[in-house]
Amino acid sequence: MILHPSVLALVGSALLGGGLLVYSSWWAARVLLRWDLSSGSELQVALERRTYLVSTILAYVLLFELASLFLFVFTADSMAPLFTGAMCAAGSLRASPYGYPALMLQTAGFAMASLWLVVNRADSLGYDYPLIRYKYGFLLVLTPVLLLEMGLRVAFFLDLKPDVITSCCGSLFGARGRGLGSDLAGIPPKVAAVAFVALLAGVILAGLHFWATGRGGWAVGVLALVLLPTGLGAVVAWLSPYVYELPTHHCPFCLLQREYDWVGYPFYGALLGGSLSGVGVGVLMPFRSIPSLAGPLPAYQRRLAAFSVWLLVALGVLVAVILARSQLRL
Amino acid sequence: MIRLEDVRKVFHQGRPDELVAVDGVSLDISDKQVTVLRGPSGSGKTSVLALVGCMARPTSGRIHVGDREVTSLPEHFLTEVRRRTFGFVFQEFHLVRGLTALENVMLPAYPLGGSRKQLLSRAQALLERFGVGGRARERADWLSGGESQRVAIARALVNDPMVVVADEPTAHLDSKLSASFMGVVDALRSEGRTVLIASHDPIVHESEVVDRVVTLRDGRIVDEAL
Repeated sequence: MILHPSVLALVGSALLGGGLLVYSSWWAARVLLRWDLSSGSELQVALERRTYLVSTILAYVLLFELASLFLFVFTADSMAPLFTGAMCAAGSLRASPYGYPALMLQTAGFAMASLWLVVNRADSLGYDYPLIRYKYGFLLVLTPVLLLEMGLRVAFFLDLKPDVITSCCGSLFGARGRGLGSDLAGIPPKVAAVAFVALLAGVILAGLHFWATGRGGWAVGVLALVLLPTGLGAVVAWLSPYVYELPTHHCPFCLLQREYDWVGYPFYGALLGGSLSGVGVGVLMPFRSIPSLAGPLPAYQRRLAAFSVWLLVALGVLVAVILARSQLRL
Repeated sequence: MIRLEDVRKVFHQGRPDELVAVDGVSLDISDKQVTVLRGPSGSGKTSVLALVGCMARPTSGRIHVGDREVTSLPEHFLTEVRRRTFGFVFQEFHLVRGLTALENVMLPAYPLGGSRKQLLSRAQALLERFGVGGRARERADWLSGGESQRVAIARALVNDPMVVVADEPTAHLDSKLSASFMGVVDALRSEGRTVLIASHDPIVHESEVVDRVVTLRDGRIVDEAL
């Protein structure tokens, strides 16, 4: 294990967060089995009180989980000079077999944790805990994913040894290589660009329509759900060469480095935040008919849609600036 | 109507010093009436008031205020019910030292927003109504017991609550001031407010103003007199 402040923070948070998730899931299981709002039994009153504590714990654990995705990638990137052959986070993650699975699960955990927080917030808008079973049922699915991700994260850091020879991002994300990175790099840039821009515009327009009329929430959710993987793919296939001004360099991690003005952080932040808040609009659509949510939920969905639109417009502006500043023309 | 259904309140549950303050109380409190909870120290009067006034949650049982069940409400909804439905007069009055009488009266209205100018005139009018208008700019520390109590009543009414809850309101007053307090209670009832008082003072529970006396002992209702 490499003793680095970020590594210690990520390992410590994994252990602490994992413990709190297990504790919360225990209460979630009790809520699912024993919740009965019509009863004034001692257990029911205790569950009602405990749900505040559990929701508060989870909100903090999951917010840190969101931040830890960026910290994880930042840490992997900053450790690259320790490994022979590594130029950025791509190489560091390759230095252990746990690296990429941890990143994949962390990204999935980020998406699921975001949606849990959206559902949790919606639940708090109703006076009768309208979504409590949904959110705690969802938590019991989310917890194993996050525990596995935290386990892989710890295993990755424990497994790292400075004398390992690893691959550079050029070979991992080269159009002629093998694997997911190379497959993405092999997608024709124009196809990736058209798909990304069309979906970006689609989510923005659908979001604006929903914000203005309160209709079309499903469309916002579905388009935003497709935008997220499309955007991540488009970075590799189309956008990253413009940042590096090198047609053969498709690495999605070098964007996070100082040489490129850390442009990856606002890009990924806006893409993840914008698309997941759009997905949140769709996720909440089935609950609009619940009487206690009929008033506040549409207003909350509109705020989510507005948040999504703002972030995606910012993302569009950022992409336009990248393209305008680049000397490369594909 | 306020309805308590088999309400229990246990402090320090599961510990050696566990205390059952309220033990299976079921009670209907009618609107626009004066109800007094009577009983010796430790009988559970104050705990029942705290539960009805949404300042504490029961260990088990349910409480309905109007057509709404309040014990299961999430905290921010409960706070809203407490602010808009109840006005409280505490045993020690709990005026904030260092603030003037007027500022004390205005305090519970701040979270509701609204115009400060209107709030000022409403608070001043309440102090005038209870005969302490001339003391509005005095610091709470300098008020006498009777004045403090009247300021506390004005404060309880500043949000125009439907229910006024008073815990041992005459404990620190002489007989004359206690009788005067019951006059205020009569006026509140005439306005259509529900008044719930915990007291073991005979001046209170023997007053003609009172519609109903509920006697508590060891956390249980032992007698209900109309």
